[in-house]
Amino acid sequence: MTAQRSLAVQRGVLGALVLIGLWEGVARGFALPAYVLPAMSDVLLGVWGKRAMLTEAAAYTLAEALLGYALGALVGIGLAVALILLPRARGVVVTAVTAVNSVPVVAYSPLILLWFGIGLASKVVMVALAVSFTLFLSTLAGLDRVDRRSIDLMRSFGAGRLALLWRLRLPTALPLILAGLRVSTVRSIIVAIVTEMLGAYGGLGWVIYQAVLQIDFVQVWSAIVVASAASLLFFGLVGLAERRLLFWRAS
Amino acid sequence: MLRHQDDAPAPAPEPEPLIELRGVDKTFGPVKALSGLSARVGRGEFVTVVGPSGCGKSTLFNIVAGLEEPDPGGALRFEGRSCHAADLLGRVSFMPQRDLLLPWRNVIDNAILALEIEGRPRKEARAEALRMLPEFGLSGFEAQYPHQLSGGMRQRVALMRTFLFERDLMLLDEPFGALDALTRTLMQRWLLDVWQRHRRTILFITHDVDEAIFLGDRVLVMTARPGAVKLEQRIDLPRPRRPDLVTAPEFIRLKRTLLEAIEEESLKSFQVAQEKAR
Repeated sequence: MTAQRSLAVQRGVLGALVLIGLWEGVARGFALPAYVLPAMSDVLLGVWGKRAMLTEAAAYTLAEALLGYALGALVGIGLAVALILLPRARGVVVTAVTAVNSVPVVAYSPLILLWFGIGLASKVVMVALAVSFTLFLSTLAGLDRVDRRSIDLMRSFGAGRLALLWRLRLPTALPLILAGLRVSTVRSIIVAIVTEMLGAYGGLGWVIYQAVLQIDFVQVWSAIVVASAASLLFFGLVGLAERRLLFWRAS
Repeated sequence: MLRHQDDAPAPAPEPEPLIELRGVDKTFGPVKALSGLSARVGRGEFVTVVGPSGCGKSTLFNIVAGLEEPDPGGALRFEGRSCHAADLLGRVSFMPQRDLLLPWRNVIDNAILALEIEGRPRKEARAEALRMLPEFGLSGFEAQYPHQLSGGMRQRVALMRTFLFERDLMLLDEPFGALDALTRTLMQRWLLDVWQRHRRTILFITHDVDEAIFLGDRVLVMTARPGAVKLEQRIDLPRPRRPDLVTAPEFIRLKRTLLEAIEEESLKSFQVAQEKAR
């Protein structure tokens, strides 16, 4: 399995290199202007040249994304667990949560910016809103997936609702919870960046927005490259944790 | 309802039954699963239950396991006291058809699941389970996970979980149904061996007549749905039971009696199905 994994990593790296080469070839070969597509080498040089500023911006965005991610995950998972313990509240809560999430989260951004200001708090709330919905749905689906016969078996051992939740439902739901957590990594960074573009004091979205105003497309791309690297890293780390925790699904 | 065969020896004064059902009914909506079912299991006895498929064997089990409440009217007695089915939750060690091992727990931790739910400290429970491993043919496998085990081994882990949950009454629902024939006979002999040493009371469901005779002190044959006890057959074959017993004339004679009763019931449920189809 490890051999297969390293092969997959090799292929991924190879694919990325081919893509970068193509990009470089197209941009140089057709002598495209920077506002259409700057050469990859120029973008990487741009990243290096502005590394201090980009690092600071990335740290800011990551802080927002991570805080929102943690808060959203806590709320989403917590709400789903609460509904299992209070099944009667389920109909009402699921309807309300779905109604709130029936429009893209970004639609709430003007209100959230108004309520929470232009600083860090509004980004955290936006990310949390997006992440909590994903986690709520995947956790609830996971908790429901438990085998009726396993529940009966544990009840025959004298298990109550809490014991069932802790020893059976949560571990059964873990694969879906972790899949939700993995998908949410990328979403959290996207939402943080988009919200920054609508009003912020810093962060990658703010850098992109400022660069567009200054018609500096190399900088736009530099910030995008950094954002995508941060997303991939976050995604990869959670994916790694997922494989570690779900060892029993390996074969 | 037929009682003992005529030529069976006069029944010894029966000990007080551990569990007793009298005139138990159970309906699910329009379906009558059990009708006037009466059965008793004495302390230390090994009773097997056979019957045509869909005869309500599982319903009987769920009632005795405390998972389903019978319809009002019948009587359910445990340890000499009348009780509700729900009172039996946590007092009967129950093993369902499938092993239902938890994939995220290794052999030891699966085996101690019931003890953990009881509130026993994990360390103590693990030590007890470790001592039991050799008897269940699982020495050296304590740290393996279910996906690494064969079907027979998984079933033994499930049985060990049932044995560790020390209750007077054990309910086994076709525990060997999913195993191949060879593993199955090995497991039957092994179960008898373990039972003889631990002396628990066992109620064992199967659809295999050979298995029912080979294991049981008594075999209950159930009627087609709605389920009741059609025939109660004492099995006075000597113990320990040897594998070649299944070819002994006495065994064959018992098998013929039981098969006749089962076939009659199977035909009935088949005819009912045909009439309904018309």
